[in-house]
Amino acid sequence: MHIVVPIKQVPETSNVKMDPVTGTMIRAGVGTVVNPLDLFAIETAVRLKEAHGGRITTLTMGPRGADKALREAMAMGCDDGVLVSDRAFAGSDSWATSYTLSQAIRKLGEFDLIVAGERATDGDTGQVGPGIAAWLDLPLATYVAAIPRVEPARGLTVERLVEEGYQVLDLPLPALITVVKEVAAPRLPTLRGKKRAKAAEITLFTAADLDLEPSYLGLKGSPTKVVKVATPRVTRGGTLVRAPDEDAVADAVEALLAFLDARDLLPTGGRA
Amino acid sequence: MTYGTVTPAVVAELRAIVGGKSVWIDEERLEAYTHDETSSDEYAHAPDVVVLPTTTEHVAAIVKLANRERIPITPRGAGSGLSGGAIPVFGGILISLERMDKLVELDLDNMTITAQAGMVTNDLAHTVAEHGLFFAGYPMSVETCQIGGNIAENAGGGKAVKYGVTGRYVMGLELVTPTGEVVWLGGKLAKDVSGYDLKQLVIGSEGTLGIVTQAIIKLTAYPKAASDLLVLFDSPRAAIDLVPRMLRQGIVPTGIEFMDRLSFQTSCQYLNETLPYQDAGAMLLIEVDGNDPAAVEADLLAIGDLCEKHGALEVYVAEDRNAVERVWSVRRNIAEAFKVERPVQSLEDIVVPVASIPDVIPELERLGAAYGMQIPCYGHAGDGNLHATLVKDPAMDHATWLRNKDACLRELYRFVQGLGGKISGEHGIGLKRKAYLGDVTNPVEIDLMRAIKRAWDPLNVMNPGKIFALDAGP
Repeated sequence: MHIVVPIKQVPETSNVKMDPVTGTMIRAGVGTVVNPLDLFAIETAVRLKEAHGGRITTLTMGPRGADKALREAMAMGCDDGVLVSDRAFAGSDSWATSYTLSQAIRKLGEFDLIVAGERATDGDTGQVGPGIAAWLDLPLATYVAAIPRVEPARGLTVERLVEEGYQVLDLPLPALITVVKEVAAPRLPTLRGKKRAKAAEITLFTAADLDLEPSYLGLKGSPTKVVKVATPRVTRGGTLVRAPDEDAVADAVEALLAFLDARDLLPTGGRA
Repeated sequence: MTYGTVTPAVVAELRAIVGGKSVWIDEERLEAYTHDETSSDEYAHAPDVVVLPTTTEHVAAIVKLANRERIPITPRGAGSGLSGGAIPVFGGILISLERMDKLVELDLDNMTITAQAGMVTNDLAHTVAEHGLFFAGYPMSVETCQIGGNIAENAGGGKAVKYGVTGRYVMGLELVTPTGEVVWLGGKLAKDVSGYDLKQLVIGSEGTLGIVTQAIIKLTAYPKAASDLLVLFDSPRAAIDLVPRMLRQGIVPTGIEFMDRLSFQTSCQYLNETLPYQDAGAMLLIEVDGNDPAAVEADLLAIGDLCEKHGALEVYVAEDRNAVERVWSVRRNIAEAFKVERPVQSLEDIVVPVASIPDVIPELERLGAAYGMQIPCYGHAGDGNLHATLVKDPAMDHATWLRNKDACLRELYRFVQGLGGKISGEHGIGLKRKAYLGDVTNPVEIDLMRAIKRAWDPLNVMNPGKIFALDAGP
């Protein structure tokens, strides 16, 4: 099997600061990590390779330094790394990103399966994986929690985590799946893997290397426009019932029950 | 020795000093101040009154009052201590520094921070990190401990191999002496031989020589890169033997942490960690940091190669923050995991010359078998400081446990002494190890310490009942 794993490099802190003017993240001075949810996609691909053979290509779109993320994925067991990097791609939203990545994947040639993370911890849209499937006209299963059946070159069965439980789907290959944490706990890279990844050559795709429609690229090609960034105000209402001495406790409990009852927060039947 | 009692008049006077809302005498509130992280069953004792000063003047006035009335005082930080040092064994006045938590000064030119003693060390570390600075003496109990407590215990931690312990970074401190005088010791000086080094005497004195109210902490540049190796070995011996070999290589890791099988299994199960640890007999967690990411990587690879060459089963690499946090959480959660699994235990803190570490492990196995208890062992292998932990078998009755624990500790401590080691590396003697210090310490040394204590605290009111008995003999 040839498995493709698109990954993203994200800021390592959850405490990201936003530029109030452009509405984009301030990335300067913040370290980067592989999007933690992509580690589950990498792990899934590596396990499939271990069970069924084949090779894994990981790719990412980002600045030149994003090869660090690719090498980490390769240290975990991916075979090849492809960096999609060009100034023309800067400021891409999920639509432009999935377009550019899908064109890069086309250039990779034949593949059987694309495994992506559920979403990135910075943008949080969960759109790029499904977007790639749409551009490449592939069958898609999101929120995959288990892959009970794999028949290389033919198809696979997945269990999707949905609100009511699990939905079982059969997909023909090639297909794209996005995985959730439940699918497989990611391994730590080994020293051997790291050394191999460090010595590996990363393939670079610039805009000129790909067959691209220029008006679909970067900030200009992105239909998403950030109009305003605001922090929601927490407006949790509450009430404080005071019971200054023992005698006041019963009344205070009554007051609390009345408060809950008025909001339908007591078990069915109310205060019977 | 008889102490005065905390009368209503004393409480009224305390209220006059710090204000009514900062003096507590109700039992529910006092309960939280009866113990630290040592076993409450064995060591807890209630104070008569808890006072929460906000200024050095408050502290000095309270201490003067205590001297006048001859009431024992117990200073307390976050209560995260592991030796019973903050337990008011004679009752009396407990002074909690928790409200003295203010940043006094951040001096970027001298690279120092001055803080009140009750500042949470984690907050201090975050404050200086925003300026690209680093408090390298930062110990392990990451979320709770306070800088004053760190100084009182001369706390260590996971970075001591390279950076040393708290004391190395305390440039100066403000002390309320046991008689209630206020004095600054040290200062923003790289060198100072103007008289005895009283500052260092206070550091690690476990609150018996006064109450530190402010401290000037030396900062360094925040290391730009830090990465870890988690190395699996088939036996503790194989892991521990590697430590001196590693240090001889010329690379100084930030920390070398050791975990035996029982320790990491308990922690991994507690954390639902899925690392393939089942076949391993021991783990080392090795951290390297520095300002040049390429140099850090080269050091990491060199150490990793050495581990592989000397029989490591597997070498895992953690380079980004999430992976580093993942491997460290295995190490950090051992004590917590054991508390959940087997709550009755005695967490030890022995320290031996680094080259003697390999000798300790078989002795722990022997003692465990002899006394019918498990003794998981983990800790700071890179500086010879091991947290062997005596864990009670649930089947053993409590009286036998207490008797066996005592006998086992006496044997262990004598063994450690024989290696040139000491019974506590970073947790302190406090209450927990007081009965054992005399066994393994030259009486001349104990007498010197007694003489200092008597000179500084003639009425013996400052954290009495800790470290050693003031009077020789039974």
